[in-house]
Amino acid sequence: MKTTLLAASFALVLGSPRAAAAKPLRVVATTPELADIVRRVGGANVSVDGLARGPEDIHQVVMKPSFVTKLNKADAVVYLGLTLEHSFLTGLLDVARNPRLRQDNVRQCAGEGCIDCSEGVKVLEKPASVSRAEGEIHPQGNPHYNLDPDEGPTVARNVAAGLSRVDPAGAADYDKNLKAFLAELEPKLAEWRKRAAALKGVKAVSYHQDTPYLARFTGLQFVATVEPKPGVPPTPTHLERVVALMKAQGVKLIVREQHFDAKTTAWLAEQTGAKVAVIGVMGNALPKTGTYLEFEERNLANLLEAVRP
Amino acid sequence: MRRLLLTSLLFAPLAARAQAPAEDRLKALEDRLEKLEGAPAKTSASAFNPAMGMSVDGLYRQTHDRGTFNLRSAEVNLEAPVDPYLKAWAILNANAKEVSLEEATLETTALPYNLTVRGGRLFASFGRMGHFHDHELPVIDRPNSLDAFVNGETQADGFEVSYLLPTDRFATATLGMYNKLGAENTRAANDAARGLSQFTYLGRVAAAFEFGEDHQVDLGLSSAWTPKRPVTENMATTTSGHVVGEVTKKNTWRTLNGLDMTYRWQPAAGGLYKGLLWGTEVLQNDERTFGRNVGDDNLPKDRVRSYAGYSFVQLKLGRHWRPTMMYDITQDMAAARTNTNTLTLALTYDVTEFHRLRAAFSQVTNSLPGSWHNDVVGLQWTAVLGHHVHGFRDR
Repeated sequence: MKTTLLAASFALVLGSPRAAAAKPLRVVATTPELADIVRRVGGANVSVDGLARGPEDIHQVVMKPSFVTKLNKADAVVYLGLTLEHSFLTGLLDVARNPRLRQDNVRQCAGEGCIDCSEGVKVLEKPASVSRAEGEIHPQGNPHYNLDPDEGPTVARNVAAGLSRVDPAGAADYDKNLKAFLAELEPKLAEWRKRAAALKGVKAVSYHQDTPYLARFTGLQFVATVEPKPGVPPTPTHLERVVALMKAQGVKLIVREQHFDAKTTAWLAEQTGAKVAVIGVMGNALPKTGTYLEFEERNLANLLEAVRP
Repeated sequence: MRRLLLTSLLFAPLAARAQAPAEDRLKALEDRLEKLEGAPAKTSASAFNPAMGMSVDGLYRQTHDRGTFNLRSAEVNLEAPVDPYLKAWAILNANAKEVSLEEATLETTALPYNLTVRGGRLFASFGRMGHFHDHELPVIDRPNSLDAFVNGETQADGFEVSYLLPTDRFATATLGMYNKLGAENTRAANDAARGLSQFTYLGRVAAAFEFGEDHQVDLGLSSAWTPKRPVTENMATTTSGHVVGEVTKKNTWRTLNGLDMTYRWQPAAGGLYKGLLWGTEVLQNDERTFGRNVGDDNLPKDRVRSYAGYSFVQLKLGRHWRPTMMYDITQDMAAARTNTNTLTLALTYDVTEFHRLRAAFSQVTNSLPGSWHNDVVGLQWTAVLGHHVHGFRDR
């Protein structure tokens, strides 16, 4: 009888979701703020590895060999999508030999472990035509939606849905953790919306064409970019045009994404009297912004600081 | 109660009128959704066509007082998944002289146990720079050591199996079997049938090491072994020039070994634009060779072991500038005491990610006393259009 009971208990333990919990789901997230959301939603059921560290240009993240082994062993990869990570994720998946995460040139990842956070995002700047004459544009639309805090809940829901699909036994946990995360995020969103009112209608220039979502949330009006086209380094002629435009339109704010060189924007500021706000395009780009909330909070705070009279 | 009923009867049409637009809107939305859900996906007949890209690589080369413009290559690549288990790509190369098929490769995508099989015409996984296409090189010309020992790119018809070790450290092992190795290798015909001992077999192990966040070292060891190669000696001729016979010498063999090391310093904040790349390859060719003509005593007629190699350093100074220095030493494979040394200095200007200008100066010297030296100035203009991928192997 004792033996039967022991065997039954053993079988129960092995077959239960908690047995899986002893071996957490291995998840790779492409950016630090995504990794934070996965930690929050996945809780104790997941172990998370990040790829980009934060200070990089998201379009130029260096492919490290250790990323390949992480993706090889991963049960899931969480990514922003819309080809934002095309410079590293597709190349890594190509050699990671993980049938759950296959390389896909259009969607970046194909397979049961792919968790694309862009599903359901209200995508801006879908190009009418795709040509490199327009610079390094993304065929599916502007992918920098992580700069709009209003898309945070969508991202978290996508993460929860994806984890539940990969690990149905943990679905109840993911749902519970999602609710807890959203309960923390919603009041912050309300607070950020209120504070962002001070930015509404403020004209600004950004370095790269990655701010339309930030504009959607804050009401900032971006009138030009330091790059003549996305991904094309600035030329003297173009910078002169930007200076003239800024003067003509009374632009008082320059938004520099942390990974771009400070000299050009400092020169622009000197020429126009505008102030420079430094933002991160992903978590950890700026110090102490490793979590999603810290990342969004810091960007908003830096913008508000720059427009303060 | 009666009053309530009367009020309801009186105002019911008004309430219905107020509700109607909302209901209509809802119905209209449902209809649209139904149409969208029921509509076929908006795809064209070309939906399954391969992704396509092209590189155009033009040169101007000046040697002493003579120069020439040269369309080095216009390379078209096509790539697509075949099915859930296989992908394929082909690369066609056209230059001023010919159009050739550089690669036509099938590669598995869903094998278990971390295995990948590639077959067809492929760039074999020997060494590092041997499987770079011309327009991807850090300087204008392929290192002389690779041209002499590998015979150009590591193009090969055959197949290879590679295994990614299930460890935290990136390490791979590759085995391959090909007709021969090297795009311009004339030792054997590519299309002739042969016995098992006359194929070329490849073994390669590679591993990568990371030191902190910004430093990486890749190490690789390759060996390509051709156990048997029948050699037919050139026609013997009489002094009057008449052919008197053909002598077949005994079989020979060849082993080409390579050690490659790549060091990368890539600070995170610089992305791919800032950093330093140092690459080195050392090759050892072990081969029994024969005199070119009967009675020719100038060339050895037995095993010759010769070495070659290059080392280059490239600085990435930002989004535009990349100065590079390369030094190459190549021993004559038939006379190992003779070296050809090549010093190359190059300056690359990346206009954008897909558009590049490069100027290079190479000095080629031969180690024999009183021998020649050759100074070459090259200007290169390269563009990549259409589909492109950032590959890991050739990163």
